[in-house]
Amino acid sequence: MKKLLYLSTAISLIFMACGDKDDEKRDMQRPSITDKGIEVSPSNCQSFKRGDSIPFRYVFTDNEELGAYNIEIHNNFTHHTHSTAKEDCDLDTEKHPVNPWVYNHDFAIPQNSTEYTADFNIPVPKDKDVGDYHFMIRLTDKAGWQEIKSVEIKITE
Amino acid sequence: MLATILATVAVSLSLYGAMPLQDRVVPCEADTFFVVDTVSKYDSIVLLDDVKISGHSEKDFQMTSSQNKVQVNREYLEDNFTGSLSQTLEIVPGVKAISIGSSQSKPTIRGMGFNRMAVAENGIKHSSQQWGDDHGLEINQFEVDKVEIIKGPSALQFGSDAIGGVMNLFTNYAPLKDFEGSFLLTGRSNNQHLGLSAKIGGRSNKLFYKAGISVADYADYKVTADSIQYYSYWIKLKDKRLRNTAGKEYDADIMLGYIGKRFHTDIKISDNFSKSGFFADAHGLEVRLSNIDYDKSKRDICLPYQQVNHLKILSHSVLSVDKINLEANVAYQNNLREEHSEPISHGYMPTPDNTKERMFNKNTYTANIGLSAFISENNTLQGGINTELQKNDIDGWGFIIPTFSTLSLGGYLFDKHTIKENFIINGGIRYDYASTHIHGYSDWYKTPVGWNDSVYKQRSEDIKRNFNSLTYSFGLDYNIDEWIFKVNMGKSFRIPIAKELGADGINYHIFRYEKGNSSLDAEQSYQLDAGIKYTDSRIAFQADPYVNYFPNYIYLNPTAAYTEGLQTYYYTQAEVFRYGFELQVSYLITSYLQAEFQTEYLSSKQLSGPKKGYSLPFSVPWSMDCGLRYTFDKNKSGFIAINIHVVGDQNEIVPPEKTTEGYWILNMQASKRFRIGKNDMKVALQIKNILDKRYFDHTSYYRLIDVPEPSRNISLSIGYNF
Repeated sequence: MKKLLYLSTAISLIFMACGDKDDEKRDMQRPSITDKGIEVSPSNCQSFKRGDSIPFRYVFTDNEELGAYNIEIHNNFTHHTHSTAKEDCDLDTEKHPVNPWVYNHDFAIPQNSTEYTADFNIPVPKDKDVGDYHFMIRLTDKAGWQEIKSVEIKITE
Repeated sequence: MLATILATVAVSLSLYGAMPLQDRVVPCEADTFFVVDTVSKYDSIVLLDDVKISGHSEKDFQMTSSQNKVQVNREYLEDNFTGSLSQTLEIVPGVKAISIGSSQSKPTIRGMGFNRMAVAENGIKHSSQQWGDDHGLEINQFEVDKVEIIKGPSALQFGSDAIGGVMNLFTNYAPLKDFEGSFLLTGRSNNQHLGLSAKIGGRSNKLFYKAGISVADYADYKVTADSIQYYSYWIKLKDKRLRNTAGKEYDADIMLGYIGKRFHTDIKISDNFSKSGFFADAHGLEVRLSNIDYDKSKRDICLPYQQVNHLKILSHSVLSVDKINLEANVAYQNNLREEHSEPISHGYMPTPDNTKERMFNKNTYTANIGLSAFISENNTLQGGINTELQKNDIDGWGFIIPTFSTLSLGGYLFDKHTIKENFIINGGIRYDYASTHIHGYSDWYKTPVGWNDSVYKQRSEDIKRNFNSLTYSFGLDYNIDEWIFKVNMGKSFRIPIAKELGADGINYHIFRYEKGNSSLDAEQSYQLDAGIKYTDSRIAFQADPYVNYFPNYIYLNPTAAYTEGLQTYYYTQAEVFRYGFELQVSYLITSYLQAEFQTEYLSSKQLSGPKKGYSLPFSVPWSMDCGLRYTFDKNKSGFIAINIHVVGDQNEIVPPEKTTEGYWILNMQASKRFRIGKNDMKVALQIKNILDKRYFDHTSYYRLIDVPEPSRNISLSIGYNF
């Protein structure tokens, strides 16, 4: 029995000794998509007219270094949803897409940024289907963590 | 509580009795699938020693190999049956299940899962879609007579993939009587699961047969939450049930054999079919709403769902001549998997016209020849040749892995030398050659490029690669009094899989852009294991520490970049160092009462590459079990046990994982065997999460979308052997 006690103590000591020392600094935090100091756009349930443009204004922050972001717009005519908002928007009746608007662009963020304000306009094509759309914002940091925000918008005549 | 489960069993029984399985009205189920042959499987009980770490045969077993091996017999499996074999085997320290839902899961040994461990049936590697984190194992647990788990490198016997270890299932026990059989009825309260398994077998002179059939049907499972919060999105649950996680499973098998004095041969055909729903409110990591009325019934299986059929034909023969044993194993396996979901457009992909998102059809042919020669009383030499041909075809509108075919050849030599009765050394060497052909794949829809052009984008190149690998292992066993010491050192490897070499596109299941790397090398791993074991009449103690080094671990690295709107991940290789241990102690307080304690710890770290300093995905957190077990009588006809399962925090994560807080849950088990004339009946009861605690399992597939683990689950099984 005594032998056993010695042995288990020895084993535990060995493992405690080689426990993690955390010498490397690792980024363990996700970036954020925020409204810091500005009024964000687009916001949930907002409507935009065909031929006009959607002003895009959001503030991105990260503890170490921001990576890149992407904006993707696709239709929600069949009501699959990714909204990250708690409120529900009024959706049009379900329909099949005929000539839906697809927008998908990747954007760079200047190196070594921990905060970045995106501010530009996205033109809405004149000839695409009106209806409910998803406006997806995806943001990464340098380490590969990602934050996603989805906004429900409506395109009208 | 007991009343609830008995009622569930009774209701389900009457339901089953009233209508044939196929005819039951299932609201959203449009399709009926291939009906499994009603002939087949199951052996009749051959009761082995208890898995308890004591007893002479256990010592003999341990002295047969310097590898760290654990045997789990049928009795022990029966006492611990859960929704799937991998989950059932979580009782073995070092074994964990990566679960998706209540009845689909795949095992990991010391944190190594997917293609980094092998599952074998009667020595033949099980070949399914091991790479997928939402795929199960496709093996019927009721068919298994015994499980032998080898923790540590096992390339020598099994070739590629057996890095973390091997789960070797034995389903070929020969019946002992002219005619025998058994029934096992299982019910589970949480997902209103009902299962029935029946088998018969018999032996006449030198011939024997076995046949079995199993059916299981379960409803959506319950969690300890009214709603799921994911990316600040609220998914409200009806009656705390996880929408559309219901499923069913049908299995059948048949085996014929001949046992002569010098020659033994058997052939076994088995088929496993399962269909189960994926959680309806998220597809992969994507939250989704649908018009399907999921809440209409908790037993229906709607879109999205998966269905898999695994057909296996195994032939095993042994010829003994003087001091030589010749063994031949030949097998054919077909794994047909389909994943269906509601068609929707995404990015430039238009809305598909059907629900077949993915299909994989894998055919595997295996032929192994082995020879053991008892050269002298103290020396046994073993050698063998393994060949395997795999072809995996794909279909469906969602691309994830390309079509591929792989031919593998391997040869090994292994020698065991007994220096003294209590001191055995062994060593072996193996050479493998593998040739893999990955077929090119292009999208079925066009993607715009430049201003006015569009193309069918190529998602996978046509690649041909050859791999060579030299592996070895050596070790020793030493026994003195109540102690056994083992040391084993081994090198193992795996050839990169098609996804790692050839992927170049969106993984719609997890919503990321994955880029393969056609120049990846075969992954190599060096592992040093030790085992220290002490057993006397009261105490059993076992400690199994290990260190493990990968010079080129294949890792899917998340980057900051985007491709086609999704985060880009690429396959790369990095040095990885891991270490850990398992520890078990049991103490017999009185001859009826035993205290049990076990714990396991594992740490891994990337030493180079873009994620230097980080851990690996799905890292198993530290855990501990403390239990008391009371045996009813000297004949061991029954027991009752209570156990506290404690799991530590997991803060060692890599993107896109989330840290998982530790938890503890209380479980209990009891079983009793009754004699009825010449036959016997066994009743087993299990309650998991007695206190109905809310907790998250770091290695559960649904962890990423913040779904807690199942709430209290009471399982009852009644078995009858004749």
